[in-house]
Amino acid sequence: MYGKGLKPLSIATVVAIAVAFSLVFFYAPLDADQGFIQKIFYLHVPLAITALVGFVIGGVFAIAHLRGGDRRWDAYSYVSIHMSVIFGVAVLITGAIWAKASWGHWWVWDEPTLVSFLIVFLMYATYYPFRYAIEDRDRQARYASVFAIVAGAFVPLNFIAVRLAQSLVHPRVFATANGGLPGSMMLTFLVCLAAVALLWVTLVKLELTAKSASGQLKRLRRALDAPADSGSPRIAPEVS
Amino acid sequence: MRKERAYLILRDRSMGEVQLFGMGLLPIGAPALPLDEAGKYVAGAYLVFLLLLLVYVGIMAAKLQRMERELRDLASFAEQGRPGTPGREAEDVPVDVEAQPAAVSDRNLTPSEAAAGRPDRVRGSSDV
Repeated sequence: MYGKGLKPLSIATVVAIAVAFSLVFFYAPLDADQGFIQKIFYLHVPLAITALVGFVIGGVFAIAHLRGGDRRWDAYSYVSIHMSVIFGVAVLITGAIWAKASWGHWWVWDEPTLVSFLIVFLMYATYYPFRYAIEDRDRQARYASVFAIVAGAFVPLNFIAVRLAQSLVHPRVFATANGGLPGSMMLTFLVCLAAVALLWVTLVKLELTAKSASGQLKRLRRALDAPADSGSPRIAPEVS
Repeated sequence: MRKERAYLILRDRSMGEVQLFGMGLLPIGAPALPLDEAGKYVAGAYLVFLLLLLVYVGIMAAKLQRMERELRDLASFAEQGRPGTPGREAEDVPVDVEAQPAAVSDRNLTPSEAAAGRPDRVRGSSDV
């Protein structure tokens, strides 16, 4: 069920990423200030935006779960958060590499954007122990949904708070009158954003398909009353 | 030292120079690195991304392999539990069934029949 359309989606993702990276290296002009190092921008920022939006989407799925009680929404929420955490790891690593190249430091603690993203990331890192500390599956799903909603609401609030903070190091100039990206850079950035978002969707679908297959397998084993193999304990919600 | 320099450059920029950075963890304000030095960092960032992707795909592949193995086990379990299933191999037939006499092996035996290896009576015939 979940695997339907996965193949064309995967092909579209690969094509989109290839086009995006081609634009980054062969079309977008070099930045006047940072030069070649600014190319990290086209990877780092789309990853950050996708991860943060993914966290919010996880919260929206959690709302649907609490409203209807359908366990599938809980699985959607879990997979969305899981994938966003992985993207968050990529954001932190690529950001650190860029910071090292630009500032000579891997991390700067007095920069609100960096620290706020780290706080969001660490908050979602606690989702896993929080979730699996609860044995009863219904309670686990319910509490995890509450967590996802509260944390999902925190993400935009955190974003606004950081935007309001005054910082010399991270000016936000997408919408300012005398700044902003030139057309070719903006186009490249938008294509990269679309490609990374497509990748997120594809991986979420892949993960859901795998979980669905795993769930079906468990059902089959129960139906056949087969002895359980040495399989690992369940670490994620089943999708049937 | 480099960070202080970055702040200075940004202050200069606020006087009207071009700014082109958005949101996220965006380092800004350092002078351009030479290509040979910047190339290492850019390559590193993109390789980290690809590496993470590869690790994820590898984990998913391992998971798929495990599921396939479990499915194979379940399929063989299901075949063993259903005699006469098409595709059942001759060597899969249990030895004790093969040891039964041909005349009685095709019907259910009582425990005593099974112990004696012969039917006590033909079921239903003596009841008449």
